Amino acid sequence: MSSSLILRSTIPKSLASRSILGVRQAGSVSYKYVPGGPIYKGTANDPTPFPPSSRTHGSYHWAFERLLAAGLVPMTAAAFVTSGSPYPIIDGLLGISLIIHSHIGFDALLVDYVHPRKFPIMGPTLTWTLRATTVAVMVGVYQFNTNDIGLTELIAKVWTA
Amino acid sequence: MSVLAQAARRLPRSCLSDARTFTTSVTRFQAEPLQKPVLNKEFKIYRWNPDEPSSKPTLQSYTIDLNQTGPMILDALIKIKNEIDPTLTFRRSCREGICGSCAMNINGQNTLACLCRIERDTKDTKIYPLPHMYIVKDLVPDLTQFYKQYKSIQPYLQNDNPPEKGEFLQSQEDRRKLDGLYECILCACCSTSCPSYWWNQDEYLGPATLMQAYRWIADSRDSYGAKRKELLQNEMSMYRCHTIFNCARTCPKGLNPAAAIAKIKLELAAD
Repeated sequence: MSSSLILRSTIPKSLASRSILGVRQAGSVSYKYVPGGPIYKGTANDPTPFPPSSRTHGSYHWAFERLLAAGLVPMTAAAFVTSGSPYPIIDGLLGISLIIHSHIGFDALLVDYVHPRKFPIMGPTLTWTLRATTVAVMVGVYQFNTNDIGLTELIAKVWTA
Repeated sequence: MSVLAQAARRLPRSCLSDARTFTTSVTRFQAEPLQKPVLNKEFKIYRWNPDEPSSKPTLQSYTIDLNQTGPMILDALIKIKNEIDPTLTFRRSCREGICGSCAMNINGQNTLACLCRIERDTKDTKIYPLPHMYIVKDLVPDLTQFYKQYKSIQPYLQNDNPPEKGEFLQSQEDRRKLDGLYECILCACCSTSCPSYWWNQDEYLGPATLMQAYRWIADSRDSYGAKRKELLQNEMSMYRCHTIFNCARTCPKGLNPAAAIAKIKLELAAD
């Protein structure tokens, strides 16, 4: 009873996607996704419903992703020029941006192929694995940049090696 | 001389040179016109019968003589249905690429059977229904979800302030924005060629529907553009498009749904 209540209640999408209950709303939905089954919601004459509007998941996400990707090009060039200086700020920015860029890319894979509405356990597990990995890599790159030669110089060294 | 010329006109081209050199005998012109040579081609067609749900779908082979068949794949299908196997099931209507009924996957490409020429060689041609759709029978896919999605974008003019009298007026530039959008016949070739649509068909609208969504966003006579755009502001409805252009590549009408989706994304980002 309680689980079906959770299933039917309209949890905000952002919360639902973080749910580790293994129960997930597809966003639009009070219909359960049946793997391999018909995917119609309502009768043949009903239009398909839309998930609730959220600019964070819509245009803001898209614009941020594209601007970040475009920004990486000059940032990479700038990091190589300035990485010799004692305060390689751009080096650090590049490290963060690259990791966020990769995170968004991997996250798109998960949304496409292991969306929690189809994989109620695997989906959230992988999403959280990705988040944990991103944080770990962030810490690792920070350590490497502060205590060692840093990303840019590593690539430069490997390149000329 | 005139008798010879008339005879030459009646004969197929291969005899003409003989007629000109006057070596053709009288019996030769009285012979029946030469039969066209037999050019057999094998068609391997996806078959599945809902009355026997336990048997798996198979490819069934049909061999027909191309010289006794019209030029298009649809002609071959109709010939097979008329002459060989009346149980073969497919949709067709206009036979001229305007109704969109005969959309199917021919040699790996989604296209309209009526607009797809038969290749005149001896290799086999494989015909499948539109990929990744539920199949009703043989080459007939279930397009219910596709039409439900089309309905969801409210594909009709909405304007709360209609002109006081007469019709809506539109400048030529505004009208030109609809070119390349309104020609869509909703055959579903593009949507079913899109991997994102394959994986997330229940939530992602697909290129055909999104192009029609843009057709109404771009229409200067429609005043609901902001609401139409707001509906697409979520992770699944539109942003599952990763711009791989399968839709533009496969469209049998030569339209470009990917460009329309890119324009929606740009308008949403600039909003």
